[in-house]
Amino acid sequence: MSAAPLLQVEDLKTHFFLGTARPFGSGRRLLKAVDGVSFSIGAGEVLSLVGESGCGKSTVGRTLTRLETASGGTARLDGREILSLSQAEFRPLRREIQMIFQDPFASLNPRLTIEQTLAEPLRIHGLAQTRTEARALIAETLQLVGLDPKVMERYPHEFSGGQRQRIGIARVMILKPRLVIADEAVSALDVSIQAQVLNLIKDLQRDSGVSMLFISHDLGVVRHISDRVAVMYLGRIVEIGTRADIFDRPSHPYTRLLLSSIPRIVPGRKRVEDLGEPANAASPPSGCAFHPRCKFATDICRTTQPPAHAVDTGHLSACHHIEALQKDLA
Amino acid sequence: MSFLHSVRDIFRGRAMGTAGLIWLCVILFAALAAPWIAPFDPLDIDPVNRLTEPGWPHLFGTDHYGRDTFSRCIYGARMTMLIGLGSVAFALVTGGAVGMLSAYFTRLGNFLMRGIDVLMAFPALLLALVLMTLLERSVVNTIIVIGIVYATTTARILFGMTLKLKREVFIDAAVCSGAGHGSILFRHILPNLISPLLVQASFIFAFAQLQAAALDFLGLGLPPEVPSWGNMLSESRIYVTRAPWLLLYPGLLIILSVFSMNMVGDAMRDSMDPRFKDDIAGV
Repeated sequence: MSAAPLLQVEDLKTHFFLGTARPFGSGRRLLKAVDGVSFSIGAGEVLSLVGESGCGKSTVGRTLTRLETASGGTARLDGREILSLSQAEFRPLRREIQMIFQDPFASLNPRLTIEQTLAEPLRIHGLAQTRTEARALIAETLQLVGLDPKVMERYPHEFSGGQRQRIGIARVMILKPRLVIADEAVSALDVSIQAQVLNLIKDLQRDSGVSMLFISHDLGVVRHISDRVAVMYLGRIVEIGTRADIFDRPSHPYTRLLLSSIPRIVPGRKRVEDLGEPANAASPPSGCAFHPRCKFATDICRTTQPPAHAVDTGHLSACHHIEALQKDLA
Repeated sequence: MSFLHSVRDIFRGRAMGTAGLIWLCVILFAALAAPWIAPFDPLDIDPVNRLTEPGWPHLFGTDHYGRDTFSRCIYGARMTMLIGLGSVAFALVTGGAVGMLSAYFTRLGNFLMRGIDVLMAFPALLLALVLMTLLERSVVNTIIVIGIVYATTTARILFGMTLKLKREVFIDAAVCSGAGHGSILFRHILPNLISPLLVQASFIFAFAQLQAAALDFLGLGLPPEVPSWGNMLSESRIYVTRAPWLLLYPGLLIILSVFSMNMVGDAMRDSMDPRFKDDIAGV
């Protein structure tokens, strides 16, 4: 990793109020969807963010694209803080941070042709002066994502889920961004289509050298695409490291729980027992949020939140019992 | 061409809707061609032939000033169309703007929608009466007053639909592309509201007729000299025993037109919203 990463996120917090305030009721409850997340992404690097539903991984992506408002922390893109900018100041920067959405059926406006959808970002960022110029760029980008340029005359309902997701990817790539946030980009697709779209994303990423934050709950997909992986649990990153660190030397009990849940036969890997559902993010457990599900939990886990310990260079794990775990692994 | 196609799709297999549409076309034709089809000047007074029965040359008879009822009915179609289209345009533009902006800009909405709530607390006719007493009787004022009454319901409906639309993923995607408020409202939200707006328009058109006729009848609508169906009812009500045709023809025209507009509205709603299937009474 280079000395100055493309994106440097420090102590990111995104909190939501639940429900509305009642005249005589107690205060509104606070949901800490993202609560102190730090990571960095180097140029051309793919960082995956994994975790169960509701752990806040999508909220991280939505906060970085300013679809949600951060409650605290900083995010520097090329050294420039982006969370404190106003929406108007941030607009020109949107070209650099683009997002691929999960549901290809909901992410395209049904009333616009593919050309209109793809021309919009070009027009906003002044990348094409005339319609001819725009059409040329759109045709080029459609070819890049494996679609016939003729499809630009058509409406979204005429396409399959996989084709629509390719259009969604074209909308992102046409701006030649520097950071792409892929929020569960393939999980809504049929399994037979997933591999194609995933390979497309991987090829485009490698050829364009764009950095990527790949948000997913699917460890198989993550293993395929990532350089580094961050594991999230209830709004925090519990472990972060290279792909090999996470998949071969997991140092947090939660990571190991996730890995053991991949339905696959791997000789020699012990099956870790599942200890139930994740806790409610609106009232997280004291201390280490994972302790009710953790078989290594001791008194300190119930009272004190574990800091991130360095297991190795660039491999951090937020657990009080790293040494015990490593003995267990060996 | 695509417009004709969608009209055909809406009315195919919907007999009542089609009949309604044909009747509305007749009314529209009468309104546009009134000077050429009407056999007499609708304002021409002929004291000799007062209250004549329907026959020749006065097809629908004459009123207490000897004016030709048939010609007045044809000119009345003009007022029907004018009031209908005018109030629909006024209601959709103002109500639509209030509803969309209120849902999109939540703080403004808290303020504007409470105003709409206050207006909706009045019965429609009472609200129209209050507003008309504040203004003088004229075609434009009648349109504005009826428009205000139905702008409230339009605002409510579009408020709800915009709230739902603005949470769509494609709106997030547009924001990520860098789209501003204007672009999101007019390129991404409004085109998705066209179908419900059209359905709403047809029902406002129908209710506006009833409202206008009621105001005319109460002497608070169009100026008395204007030949409208509501004014004709109002003027001739004291002759109901001597010359019942004076009430019969404009009354029938109002009923038929409102019924037709409702049928057209039903057909449009059915074709756009699969939840309202036309299995009730085979309409």
